[in-house]
Amino acid sequence: MPFIKIDEKEFEVAKGITVLQAALANGIEIPHYCFHPVLEVVGSCRMCLVQVEGMPKLQASCNTSIGEVALDKKLDGKYDMVVNTQTDAVKQERKNILEFLLLNHPLDCPVCDQAGECYLQDYTFKYGNAHSRFKEEKRVRPSESLGSNIVINQDRCILCSRCVRFTREISGTNELFVQNRGYHSKVSILKDKPLENLMAGNVADICPVGALLNTDYIHKNRFWNLDTIPSVCQDCSAGCNVDVFSQRDEIFRLTPRENHDVNGYFMCDIGRYGFHRFEEIERVNQPLVRNGKSFDVIDWAEAIQKTADLIEQSNGKTAGIVSPFHTNESNFLLGLMINGMLGMLPAIQAEEITYPSGFRISADRSPNQRGMNNICGGLAEDLSSEIKTQAIRGLYILDDGVDRELDDAWKEILAKMDFLIVQSYAMTDLAKLAHIVLPGLAPYEREGTITNDQDRIQWLRPSLSIKAESKPDWEILMLVNNALNKKAENFTGLDDVIIKMGEQFPNYSGITLFKIATQGIALNGKKM
Amino acid sequence: MDLLGFIIILVKVLVVFAATMITVMGMIYAERRVSAFMQGRLGPNRVGPKGLLQPIADGIKFFMKEDLIPSGADKPIFILAPAILLIPALMTFAVIPFGSSITIFGREIALQVADVNVGILYILALTSIGVYGIVLAGWSSNSKYSLLGGLRSSAQLISYELAMGLAVVSIILLAGSLRLNDIIADQQGYFLSWNVFKQPLAFIIFLVAVYAETNRLPFDLTEAEQELVGGYHTEYSSLKFAMFFLAEYANMITAAALTVTLFFGGWDVPLLDESSLGLLGAILSVLSFILKMAFFLFLFIWVRWTFPRFRYDQLMRLGWKVLLPLALVNIFLTGGYLTLTAMK
Amino acid sequence: MATIIKSYEPTFWDKLYFPALLKGLMVTIKHFFRQKVTIQYPDERHIPPDGYRGLHRLNKYPDERIKCVACEMCAAACPSNCISIIPGPSPWDDGKERYPVRFDINLLRCIYCGFCEMACPEGAIELTEIYDFSNYSRDDLVIDKDGLLGVYELTKKQNYYTKKSHSPASLPFKTERT
Ligand code: SF4
Ligand code: SF4
Ligand code: SF4
Ligand code: SF4
Ligand code: FES
Repeated sequence: MPFIKIDEKEFEVAKGITVLQAALANGIEIPHYCFHPVLEVVGSCRMCLVQVEGMPKLQASCNTSIGEVALDKKLDGKYDMVVNTQTDAVKQERKNILEFLLLNHPLDCPVCDQAGECYLQDYTFKYGNAHSRFKEEKRVRPSESLGSNIVINQDRCILCSRCVRFTREISGTNELFVQNRGYHSKVSILKDKPLENLMAGNVADICPVGALLNTDYIHKNRFWNLDTIPSVCQDCSAGCNVDVFSQRDEIFRLTPRENHDVNGYFMCDIGRYGFHRFEEIERVNQPLVRNGKSFDVIDWAEAIQKTADLIEQSNGKTAGIVSPFHTNESNFLLGLMINGMLGMLPAIQAEEITYPSGFRISADRSPNQRGMNNICGGLAEDLSSEIKTQAIRGLYILDDGVDRELDDAWKEILAKMDFLIVQSYAMTDLAKLAHIVLPGLAPYEREGTITNDQDRIQWLRPSLSIKAESKPDWEILMLVNNALNKKAENFTGLDDVIIKMGEQFPNYSGITLFKIATQGIALNGKKM
Repeated sequence: MDLLGFIIILVKVLVVFAATMITVMGMIYAERRVSAFMQGRLGPNRVGPKGLLQPIADGIKFFMKEDLIPSGADKPIFILAPAILLIPALMTFAVIPFGSSITIFGREIALQVADVNVGILYILALTSIGVYGIVLAGWSSNSKYSLLGGLRSSAQLISYELAMGLAVVSIILLAGSLRLNDIIADQQGYFLSWNVFKQPLAFIIFLVAVYAETNRLPFDLTEAEQELVGGYHTEYSSLKFAMFFLAEYANMITAAALTVTLFFGGWDVPLLDESSLGLLGAILSVLSFILKMAFFLFLFIWVRWTFPRFRYDQLMRLGWKVLLPLALVNIFLTGGYLTLTAMK
Repeated sequence: MATIIKSYEPTFWDKLYFPALLKGLMVTIKHFFRQKVTIQYPDERHIPPDGYRGLHRLNKYPDERIKCVACEMCAAACPSNCISIIPGPSPWDDGKERYPVRFDINLLRCIYCGFCEMACPEGAIELTEIYDFSNYSRDDLVIDKDGLLGVYELTKKQNYYTKKSHSPASLPFKTERT
């Protein structure tokens, strides 16, 4: 293992890694643009120059790997390499590079959506000059649309080529390339091949400046106004980790969150723009009870009591319908409450997509099918026949608000039921048939755990406030359960439910939200 | 006394009372305007022309306010106290000659309500009664601030009454009479015959003592708002408070009139023989009296907005260790001088 | 190095107090005759000096385009957090792609520090000389974009208070009691 020194800090590093990686891993900042941990190193921006002892010129740290040297060649008798990131030459060189980058840069930060999270701003502030010596007119080039969701502002581009390498190496779709040479270089597409792939949104994230922008977020808000909540994407079973950015109870964007066990650095566009689905839904946020063709609003205590009465009167002939979109806790509590049988709402399936980099969009487009199966022992395989054989009279449906066409078998089942209790946040087709509608929480409002298709349990965190009288789904189920069975447990929080879940399903034992944290826990070969 | 004499007295009483009341209102207005002017402001100038009706507005305000009596207060005394203060303050004016005399229907009418031959003693006696009003108000309010204000006031008045009395004694020695008319007569003639020139030390002592007697700044420790909220009248509101207010200003007017009488020749117009001019002389004398008094009233306000308040120990030291000895020395000097001149 | 300051020893003259008292009386009487500083507000109005920090305004270019580009620097600089902006793509085609769809300032929270003015990269927000904009309800004291542009119209040419018609009724607020 090479033993190196960077700025008076000494440490051992793995053989073959670069100086930049070693520095970043040990908390030493070296400014850089073109380097990205998962992209090929090109060393084109020259921002990361450092001084390596024994080398006549400054070296690009992203492109200088560390090796072991013979004993007699070691510096000071012990170091394999000695690096300085703070010499006057390095500082001057950073100034020069930044001055070059800013020559034709419009510096229109006031209208630039990257402002606040822009590396050009940050580095110029930290390492650059306060004034420009460039007196001439700046070059102005028009913005161009690269695809349906991405625009490029050519003026702001610093030609780091991260985006180009992304389409080559990560998505493998090769849409972007650098056109022309020298002063005329620009990132471009071929006319007949726009940037249309399901990973396109990521180029706006990896662009270190405000050149590539998501049309979805453009001119919507300011970075520093937004609250960031680490959560999990809810559009497929891969369970990509995301940051949810919201302000004043409105979600503005989703960005991928680094998690090497799940999604790496990226996410797909289905999930990225998926949150818009929930913006204009017909919400249910008060308990409703059927009155002829319409509904009456009732209060919670009454609604819970009515629900419990219906289930009790059916004498064990109530089936629970869980959903692959709901959290483990809600599904589990429904299982706990129903002593008849459990069925599930149809899962959503689509084609599985895998990219050359290994990034995967799961065929199972319901986020929690695995979790639901894990914690609902004995789901009915063939719902309609089992309902017939067990003479089920009522259904308690944990509805997920997903638009799905119910097939004839389902319609037949629903038509035969004496009563239908639907717990839902939206006025879905199912809810319209219900006798009692209990208002639960929408995605991004609800909290809980979900398990992805690799058996990793992750923490779903809420970004939006609870609307009107709605209650968390687990709480509604607990209340109904308590009304049914006076001896039933009273959970004070989600962690209590998870502990109870662990008691019944050993896979889930010992888990708490705190332990799941931002990175999740793999259930198979759990390491605590 | 015949009926006409009675009516004349009645008219005089009414005139004096009304004049005092109008002066009080004028003083309230003047106090606010003068203080404002001295501070570079304009003061009340909205109610009536130049704000002249402001005192009336203030009066109406006092009327409209709720009259509160604190629950622990000694009710009869609490109600009586303002009157005890106000009535002597108004009564004092009775013996002060505010002009020479006029002759109507062949009768010579002195411009004075009552010509008492112990006028000075009468005035000193009445001012002492006023203290009871303050002390009782302080005591009956059942409030620590009021009580402290009342106590301070009694101590202060006793201290300064001595000095004041002794300063007046030297005047009495000169005039040889306790009658105010005699004292005025003694000062008739030209400027230098006024007592202020004959007895400058007595004048200064008297002036300082008068400020203390009327509880005006720089001796307003009885109502030092920074320490005692409102002093003895903290718990008073509405008309009862207005009575204290009136009494304070009535006292000032009396004090100014007394100063004029004792030291500035009363209604004397210098270098003029008023009695020989008949009615004109009488009018001139009244005008001269009013003018002199107005100056001292202005001085009251002027001093108030110029000097800071004394500390209580300073107040006591000044009274007992400076003014009292000085007044005594002054009496000896006057007495000595008089004996010497009498021996010649 | 400590300096020894000799305390002032009062002379006999000083101890008499009277000269000092007379001096004091002279001071107050001088003020008595001095020019008064009171401005009789509703009848006369104080004309604030340049740089006075009163009601805000949003400036426009001569061609009616709002100068503001909704960068929210003012909102970020505001110590009392009273500016709230909703940006949007600008309807003008002049290279500045952003403009404020809504621009609200809570005048009750504002402390008139002028930081917003200093932070603004476009010279769009400015504090004007208008100081008497009291109102009957809290809601009416949240000024919106139209209000701010209205203030600009009122103040762009001339000091608001040197105009002939400068009654508060001309302010872009509701001023009747509701
Ligand atoms: S890319 Fe960065 S530096 Fe350039 S305008 Fe945008 S925020 Fe400013
Ligand atoms: S668009 Fe962004 S990521 Fe692409 S080359 Fe330019 S600066 Fe780099
Ligand atoms: S003047 Fe100060 S407090 Fe008021 S809006 Fe501007 S920055 Fe905020
Ligand atoms: S007023 Fe100025 S600082 Fe505020 S958003 Fe507009 S341009 Fe930016
Ligand atoms: S990061 Fe090293 S050259 Fe760009």
